[in-house]
Amino acid sequence: MTSVAERPDPMTDPMSRHTPPAARRDLGWIGIPLVAAVGLAAYWLLPDDLALLTRIAASALFVLSLDLVLGYGGIATLGQAAMFGTGAYAAGIVAVNWNSDPFVMLAAGGLAGGLVALVTGALILHARGLTLLMLTIAVGQIVQEVANKARDWTGGSDGLSGIDPAPVLGLFRFDMFGRTSYLFALAVLVAGLMVARRIVRSPFGLACRGVREDPLRISAIGGSPKSYLVALYGVAGVFAGVAGALTAVTSGIVGLDSAGFPWSAEALVMLVLGGTGRLYGAVIGTAAFMGIHHVLAASDPFHWMGFIGLFLIGIVLFLPGGIASGFERLGALLRGKENRA
Amino acid sequence: MTKTLRNALLGAAFGLALAAGPAGAATIKVGVVAPFSGPFGVVGKSFKEAIEVYQAEHGKTVGNDTVEFVYKDLDQANPAQSKALSQELIVKEKVSFLAGYFFTPDALAVAPLIDEANIPCVIFNAATSAITEKSPRYVRTSFTLWQNTVPLAEHMAKQGIRKAVSAVSDYGPGIDGEAAFKTTFEKNGGAVVDSIRMPLKSADFAPFMQRIKDSGAEAVYAFLPAGPATLAFAKAFNDTGLRAAGIKFFGPGDLTQEPDLPALGDAATGITTSFNYSRAHDSAMNKAFVARHKEMFGSYDTVTFTSVGAYDGTHVIYQMIKNAGGGRIDGAKAVESVKGMSWESPRGPLTIDPDSRHVTQTIYLRTVEKVDGKLENVEKQSFPKQPDYGYKLAK
Repeated sequence: MTSVAERPDPMTDPMSRHTPPAARRDLGWIGIPLVAAVGLAAYWLLPDDLALLTRIAASALFVLSLDLVLGYGGIATLGQAAMFGTGAYAAGIVAVNWNSDPFVMLAAGGLAGGLVALVTGALILHARGLTLLMLTIAVGQIVQEVANKARDWTGGSDGLSGIDPAPVLGLFRFDMFGRTSYLFALAVLVAGLMVARRIVRSPFGLACRGVREDPLRISAIGGSPKSYLVALYGVAGVFAGVAGALTAVTSGIVGLDSAGFPWSAEALVMLVLGGTGRLYGAVIGTAAFMGIHHVLAASDPFHWMGFIGLFLIGIVLFLPGGIASGFERLGALLRGKENRA
Repeated sequence: MTKTLRNALLGAAFGLALAAGPAGAATIKVGVVAPFSGPFGVVGKSFKEAIEVYQAEHGKTVGNDTVEFVYKDLDQANPAQSKALSQELIVKEKVSFLAGYFFTPDALAVAPLIDEANIPCVIFNAATSAITEKSPRYVRTSFTLWQNTVPLAEHMAKQGIRKAVSAVSDYGPGIDGEAAFKTTFEKNGGAVVDSIRMPLKSADFAPFMQRIKDSGAEAVYAFLPAGPATLAFAKAFNDTGLRAAGIKFFGPGDLTQEPDLPALGDAATGITTSFNYSRAHDSAMNKAFVARHKEMFGSYDTVTFTSVGAYDGTHVIYQMIKNAGGGRIDGAKAVESVKGMSWESPRGPLTIDPDSRHVTQTIYLRTVEKVDGKLENVEKQSFPKQPDYGYKLAK
């Protein structure tokens, strides 16, 4: 498990050292409008697959939160779903009992996810490596068990159903074709990407990267590595909580699986697939994994898992830095040719 | 270039004309959402096999319409994914029916969808009573925990058992079972001296066995999810001497479902359960069903309660198509047309209760015994016409 979690670091480190900062900034700037454009194009081109696209958008936001902690803070975690589940349940409970406005639900989810991340982060982030990995799994299990026990609030293993979000801005109803759901999810994802980009480029984000590279040096220059990490963990918790709330809004139900270990692990697979420490790698990885999963499962619902395995092995063998690193290599290759010509 | 373009256009137009087709000879699609891979893959397999057996017996057409099943894999309880898959079935595949659903949250997730699309949803398994309350377009052909537990608790009280203890896994169905047992058993003059809830993931049951022993109960009502937990519980029950001490072991039939019996082995013999179907059910129709299964798939090892759930569910869908008389399927009307419908199934006589849209059926009291070297649930007694006692009971 550690090998999976920690493998990306040596891959991304040389990358960040060798690529000039200016080139990276350019690519990052294009990334967000590109996600929005591709997302809108998909809306027109694949009007029958909006259910899948909605799930991809919401999951991408979740994987993005994992990229913040793993890719920028170097925190190995297999418990990110704890914040996702908390956010989803918080949004669902708010919607069922008090206010079903989608923005209120997102706010509730983000708040709850951030709080859980801050509290648990302060407790567990003194640990590193394997110990930390185990602690994050434990946090996930605790959140899941609390949700199972609090049946009156969460519906226990039956799931929290009956979430009926109000129309967006009082105008756009969530219909069964999923048009509103998808555009709403896409808008939240793009907004999330913009905020995340702002954060990782801020002095705080750079400090977090410093902690990942060398915590000792950060202490030496007077910073506190742990408080940086806790803050980053909390910020990522807000993202995960919003992603959970977004899933509650678009699907209308929250199940125990949303805080489960498999969901954390799957997010990690998607992130590694896309490439860590790049933000848009999270989006690429999620879209690739869930898209291929969907195509394979639709064509052969009985044996698709084997093909997914082959696909993952192929990516790890030929593009060890993830799909995004493949694009970067391609870009570098093209630039190299231009320079020579 | 222009020629190929023209050909392509012609082909497309021809294809469209074919797809539209003459009225009355349409293909009616049924979307089945169930686990077809992963640890619960055997459930989806039993659904699919039962559907194929039904189609082999009754043909793939109703009137002029061809019935086609589209399968979607949902490998674990994941309501958000369940909703996305069902939405895709409705919007992209244009199905007229949804069916399947093994886990309760997955079935609950589609309630808003089937109401908006006006599509009937036939549940082959998901067994929480409250599901059919959430939409008038749900029909269920499986069972509920209340339905299985009430006759069992009454039977236990009739046997002269006065003190019993319930031991259930701490999750939705377990707590349903505990409530159904306590209510019924105490109404019939018994006393539940201890209600034990065991963590879902516990593997060591010795401490709970001690509590059962200390409670001084004459019998235990147990419910755990089928599989390794049940196996460990039954083994602990024997190893700690509770069985030798004469404490009787009762539970709903999920505990001793047919595919698990070989793994349970001799630890299972003598466990008394109540359930809606046993593979060993003695009727000509069931024998034909099992024989056909063996003929088509080479063995009948996978035949269990999920098989008849799917088989009877398919029957209900066929009936709804028949009732529509070749016209378009209107979900609300289709459900209305099968309310009160009665038929004979491999498990016995069935009726769809007009209120709960859940099957009223015979519940059998069975004991695990060895038949021709194979462990089977041998039916000892039957309680006819059991409705879903849990309908509209919970808040």
